[in-house]
Amino acid sequence: MSTSVTEAPARSDVRRGRLRLDGVRKVLGGKEVVSSVDLETEPGEFLTLLGPSGCGKTTTLNMVAGHLTADGGVIEVDGRDITAVPPHRRSMGMVFQSYALFPHMTVAENVAFGLRMRKVPAADRRRQVAEMLELVGLDGMADRHPGRLSGGQQQRAALARALVVQPDLLLLDEPFSNLDAQLRVRLREEVAALQRRIGTTTILVTHDQEEALAVSDRIAVMADGVIHQLDRPREIYLRPGTDFVARFIGEVNAIEGTAAGPVADGYACTVAGETVAATPAGDPPAAGEAVRLYVRPEVVRISTDGAQGLRGTVRETRFLGSRIRCVVATPAGEVTAALPFDARVPAVGEEVTCAWRPSDASLAAR
Amino acid sequence: MAAVGRVAGGSLNRSGRRTGLLLALPAILIFALLFVAPLCTLVANSFRTQTGAFTLDNYQRFLGDPFYRDVLWNTLKVAALTTIGCLVVGYPFALYLRGRSPRVRNWLALLLLSPLLISMVIRAYGWLVVLGPQGPVAAVIEWFGLTPPQLLYNDTAVLIGMVHVMLAYMVLPLMGSLDRIDRTLVPAARGLGASGWTCFWRITLPLSAPGMLAGAMIVFSLTASSFVTPAILGGPKVKLMPYFVYTQATVTLDWPYAAAIGFVLVVVTTGLLLAYSRLLRRGGGEVVFG
Repeated sequence: MSTSVTEAPARSDVRRGRLRLDGVRKVLGGKEVVSSVDLETEPGEFLTLLGPSGCGKTTTLNMVAGHLTADGGVIEVDGRDITAVPPHRRSMGMVFQSYALFPHMTVAENVAFGLRMRKVPAADRRRQVAEMLELVGLDGMADRHPGRLSGGQQQRAALARALVVQPDLLLLDEPFSNLDAQLRVRLREEVAALQRRIGTTTILVTHDQEEALAVSDRIAVMADGVIHQLDRPREIYLRPGTDFVARFIGEVNAIEGTAAGPVADGYACTVAGETVAATPAGDPPAAGEAVRLYVRPEVVRISTDGAQGLRGTVRETRFLGSRIRCVVATPAGEVTAALPFDARVPAVGEEVTCAWRPSDASLAAR
Repeated sequence: MAAVGRVAGGSLNRSGRRTGLLLALPAILIFALLFVAPLCTLVANSFRTQTGAFTLDNYQRFLGDPFYRDVLWNTLKVAALTTIGCLVVGYPFALYLRGRSPRVRNWLALLLLSPLLISMVIRAYGWLVVLGPQGPVAAVIEWFGLTPPQLLYNDTAVLIGMVHVMLAYMVLPLMGSLDRIDRTLVPAARGLGASGWTCFWRITLPLSAPGMLAGAMIVFSLTASSFVTPAILGGPKVKLMPYFVYTQATVTLDWPYAAAIGFVLVVVTTGLLLAYSRLLRRGGGEVVFG
C-alpha cells in the first residue's frame, strides 16, 4: 500500500485525463438515444452522469469507451480526437455493472490482463498486480476465481483490473447497483477516496441521485439524450435548472409566480400577492414573465412572527426521525418543509410564514 | 426463487425424495431393460464360443488380426475427422447465430436440423446423386476443364455425409455455451487493450469449451457407431467397425464374434471420451466446468 500511496500524488500531478465531448450523438434502432451532448472535465475530476434508465447515460459512456461509435460530434482526451479510435487503442479503465470479470481466470490473471496486452514484462506485471490488489484490499485473494468472490470483492477486483493500466479515464457503469444497501454506501465512499488519492479522471454512470450527490465533483443530469444541467452537487440540489432536474432529485416545492425584478441577494417574484426571492437558473427572466420557483423542503423555515414570505395554515406535521415534515397550505399551493428534529413544531391550524434564503432556491421561466 | 433453489440443492424430505424417484423411474426402467440388460448379455456372449463355452478366442482373434486392428483405427480416424469437420464448420456458424435476432436464429436452427428430419437412407442416396460421376459437383469440376476425382465410395464421401448429419449435434451445444458467456466480457477485454482476435482466443474460445466438449463427444460417439451413411456412401471399400458387427451377426451368423467387435468399439470409444474430457477439464479451469 505504501508504495502506491507515495506514488499517487506524482501521478495526479501529471494533470492528464481532460475529456471533452462536443455535440456527440448516437442513434440506436432508429431512435436518437443521445442528441448533442457537450461536456468537458477537469483533469482528476469525478464527474457523474445521472439520469433515469433510457436517458442515454450508458450510451454516452460506451461512446467514450469506444464500445459504440458516435454518429456525430467529437470526443477528445487531452486534445486528442479519439472519436474513431477502436476501444483497444484508447486508454480507458472501465468497471461494468456486471463487473465482467473473466470467469476462467484467477483474480490475479484478471488484473494482469490489461498489462499483458500492453506487453509489460512478467516481473513488473506481478509487482503491479500485487500492489493494486493491496490497494483495493484484495491481497490474499489473488489465486481465487471470480466465482468464489463476494459481490463486493468482485467489484474491487474489477476496479483493480481497470486501474492497474493507469488509464486516462476511469469509467464506472452503475458499479454499485448490484450490491446491498450497506455495502453500496461503504464501497462508494472507498471508491471516491481512492479516486481522490490516485487522481484519475472518473466518469460515473448512475441512476441513484444520493450516490451522485455523495461522490461527485460535478453532476451532469441527463434525460431524453441531453444534459439538463451540469454543476456541482450543491447547486444541482439547491438550484435545479429545469423542471426535470428539480423533480428527479429528491423532493421539491415547485411554486408558480411572476417575475418582479432583481434584488440584492437574488431575484424577486410575486407569488399569490407576496414577494419572495430565489436565484435564477441561467439568464434572469424579464419582469412580468411567468416563472416557477424550486424550493427544497430542507431550506424552508417556518416562523410565526409575521416575517416576509409565503403565508399559510399548517395542514399536518409528522415526526420522521431525522426530520419533522410539515405541510403548509398557502394560496400558491401546499408547501412542504423538512424541519430539524429540535425545531419548534407548529400546531396544525396555526398561521405561519414559509421563508428561505434566496441563494438556497432557484427559479426558471415556465 | 431462493426456496426453490434450496429444495433443488438437496434438503428434500422423504416424500419429496420418493416423488423425485417416481419421476425418474420410467427413464431408469427403459435404460435398465433396453440398454443395460442387453449390454450385459452382449458382454457375456462375447466371452462364449458358438456352443456356449467360456472363451477368450473372440478377443484374441480381433486383437491378433492386423486387418481388424486397421478397421478399428480407421473407424476412430473417420470419427475424429468428422468431429474436427463439424467443429471447423460449426463454430463460425454458432458464432454467427449468437449475434442474430431470435427470428433469424430459429430459421437457421431449423435449417441446421433439417438433415435429421429426413430418413438417413434417403439423405445418403441424395449424396450419391450429388457426388456421383453425373452429379453437379463433378459437372462444376469438369466445367473448369479438370478431371473430377473419385468422390464416392471412399473416406471423403463418408466424411462429407457424416459432417452434414452431425453438424446440428455440434452447433446446438456450442450455441448454448456461447449464449451463457456474459456479453460484457469481450467489451471488457477490448477496453483493456485486446484486439478482436485476442478476445476470441483468450475469452470466447476458452469459455465455449464446455459446448465444444459436449458437441465433440456426441459427434464422435455417434459417428463411430454409425452404419447407414458409411455403408451407402463408403461402400465395401471403407471398412468401419459397425459394418463388421453387422456382417458377423447377419451374414456369418457368428454372434459371439459380433458381440466382441461391438464391445471393443464401446470400450475404446468410452475410454477415448473419458481421456478427452479429462484433458479439457484440466485445461479449461475449474470454474468453467464447476
